[in-house]
Amino acid sequence: MDAQNVDYFLMANAKFLEDHQIFHIRERLLAMDESQWRMLQFMQFTDPVVVLIVSILTGPLAIDRFLIGDVGLGVIKLLTCGGLGIWVVVDWILIMGITRRKNTEKLMMAIY
Amino acid sequence: MSLTRNRFNLFVSLSCLVGYGWLILIGRLKPEEVGSSYDVCLIRHFAHIPCPSCGSTRSVLALIHGDLAGGLYWNPLGLLIFSALLVVPFWMGYDLLLKKETLFRAFGFFEENLRRKWVAIPAIVLILLNWVWNIYKNV
Repeated sequence: MDAQNVDYFLMANAKFLEDHQIFHIRERLLAMDESQWRMLQFMQFTDPVVVLIVSILTGPLAIDRFLIGDVGLGVIKLLTCGGLGIWVVVDWILIMGITRRKNTEKLMMAIY
Repeated sequence: MSLTRNRFNLFVSLSCLVGYGWLILIGRLKPEEVGSSYDVCLIRHFAHIPCPSCGSTRSVLALIHGDLAGGLYWNPLGLLIFSALLVVPFWMGYDLLLKKETLFRAFGFFEENLRRKWVAIPAIVLILLNWVWNIYKNV
């Protein structure tokens, strides 16, 4: 793919992805062909800020975990009243990073 | 599932330890005294309504004392937690001793099935009904 398109894609989606993977992703995107690139255009990422807001508002209900696809952990969090309230607070700090990691994993799976 | 086996084992071990520690801390109280003495639920603390899993500790305590009806009354989800606290340490011990990953695989299977609509929708409905019942009981 041409560098301009790749840079545009990364500019639009960098906030959803892990910072330290951006260079690696760029290299990989540059090596992709046109058909794979078209598929990437329709890829939806979960917004870490939205997940953080959901986590702050509905932490004990574990909706944040369900939103990022951690269904099993979500059920455990829900059943334990948000890990006795501790997990809820820990997730306020960690959930944005976890969301970015999930988005990066999703992108990696699509481009490899 | 991005959770690795080792992380999962660590997480489950810590959860069980915290769960047993919590029960030891709370165990000296009667089930009906727990809610007023130790309020860890942020929803109940701020919104003044119980969450779907409020009453689980009281339910587990009632079950420990052999009171099945009380356990179901306080919160039916307590039965799940009680079963998990009983089974998971032995299951994990079995896996660690025989270097297997049956618990991790069972968790993956559970997670995969819960993503299916015909499992997820009834589960959500049951949780919501339980929540309504919890609000009605004001546990």
